[in-house]
Amino acid sequence: MFGLDYSWLSDPVYQGWLLRGTLNTIGLALASSAVAVLIGTFGALALSLRIAWLDALIELFVELFRNTPPLLQMLFFYFTLSTIGLRVTDPVTGLSVPLLSAFDCALVSLSFFGGALCIEAFRSGLESLPRSVNEAARSLGYSRWGRFRRIEVPIASRICLPALTNILTNLFKTTSQASVITVPELMYYAGQIYNDTFRTAEVMLLVLLIYVSLVSVLSWGMSRIERALAFPGYGKGH
Amino acid sequence: MNRTNALIELDAVTKSFASFEVLKGISLSVKDGEAVCIIGPSGSGKSTILRCINGLIPIDGGRIRVGEIEVHKLRSEKEMRPLRHRVAMVFQQYNLFPHRTALQNIMMAPVQVLGHDRREVEERAHRLLAKVRLSNKADAYPGQLSGGQQQRVAIARALAMEPQVILFDEVTAALDPETVKEVLTAIRELVDEGLTCILVTHEMKFAREVAERVCFTDHGRIVESGPPAQIFDAPQDPRTREFLGQVL
Ligand SMILES: Nc1ncnc2c1ncn2[C@@H]1O[C@H](COP(=O)(O)OP(=O)(O)O)[C@@H](O)[C@H]1O
Ligand SMILES: [Mg+2]
Repeated sequence: MFGLDYSWLSDPVYQGWLLRGTLNTIGLALASSAVAVLIGTFGALALSLRIAWLDALIELFVELFRNTPPLLQMLFFYFTLSTIGLRVTDPVTGLSVPLLSAFDCALVSLSFFGGALCIEAFRSGLESLPRSVNEAARSLGYSRWGRFRRIEVPIASRICLPALTNILTNLFKTTSQASVITVPELMYYAGQIYNDTFRTAEVMLLVLLIYVSLVSVLSWGMSRIERALAFPGYGKGH
Repeated sequence: MNRTNALIELDAVTKSFASFEVLKGISLSVKDGEAVCIIGPSGSGKSTILRCINGLIPIDGGRIRVGEIEVHKLRSEKEMRPLRHRVAMVFQQYNLFPHRTALQNIMMAPVQVLGHDRREVEERAHRLLAKVRLSNKADAYPGQLSGGQQQRVAIARALAMEPQVILFDEVTAALDPETVKEVLTAIRELVDEGLTCILVTHEMKFAREVAERVCFTDHGRIVESGPPAQIFDAPQDPRTREFLGQVL
């Protein structure tokens, strides 16, 4: 059909590459999403303490990682950190190798990139809470941490969920750039396969479909969470 | 006023926001079981008085005592906890937690803050919902309730802390006229049961009926105070007369 040739797909080697690439993509996306959400949570909590030097530090982090291309960040971590001395001696081979593997570098830079976006989103979610709700919580005896945990985060997280879905979707797609620093994820193996088979169009079409399916599962899951957490008067509650 | 049996005592309390002096020496004492209404023009410092009494804002000068607790000496949220247990507050904007049902709103603080037994608190919450005539709304979220219903849940939430005193800050000001009555009825019952109440209100008829004493505030001072009959029928201060002339 349409002159597309998928005979290479029956080769177990290519099947294995596609499978491994897909799993690595999922793993990288899940791990960096989890770290990004953690960074966002603690960053937003730290900002809500209103400590000047801490605010400035977090602001710098956010500006740095939100306003630079993730690809550049990955290349920076991959090439620069190992050059400036973050290396260890491999106990088996005795060779000096970078402390962070290519996968680690991708994970760190994606987590920081996503974390910067999450801090912004969570901060604005927290700020959208009426001050008076916080005052009511204080009058009921809630401590600062108690208010954050029992009232501010539960309400703000529901307000933030649509923004978080966007961030995680973006992060998922951005994992493909890790192929540039030789992380063996889906895009990386796709390149290997069409270099072998010269079936560029076919490989790209297939990879496209895999990404569409994975991201669809992600957004389906997120909308399930949104619905489960919704309460009347906010978001998907009615 | 007999000082020894006063439950709440404010003595020359002052408070400024930046250079603006909101309270210019408030002295007030309230006996156990007494209902005191505070009336006065908007911006005269009524809400600020209530928020100082329960330690939501620190005062600049003077003294505040609730029972044996010296409020002006409390520094941290942890030190405030006994005060929070003893003094509850109901706000104009209800301020229910939107992500929790009516029942959960009432149960949260007794369980999470006071550490009371969950099952015992649940019984208490159902009893209080019945008291404010909202037993059928236990599982409704604040977003599904009318203003009057939300305010009655807020009253039940305050009562669930088993306080000795409740501070009401213009709790009917945001309500439709039809629902004002249901909230006032709920408050009147509490006053009749002998709960100590300080009520900031614009409902003059209600103040006259429930209060044992009415305080009129203007520009950060208590200008005049006395039994409702005296304040409403024979006000001494020209500012009280002018204010009552506008609102009655
Ligand atoms: N947190 C605050 N910061 C600055 N000014 C405030 C603050 N709270 C109240 N005020 C000011 O203090 C004055 C008295 O306020 P408030 O006690 O709310 O008056 P009332 O309840 O009698 O209307 C008002 O002019 C108000 O603008
Ligand atoms: Mg007020």
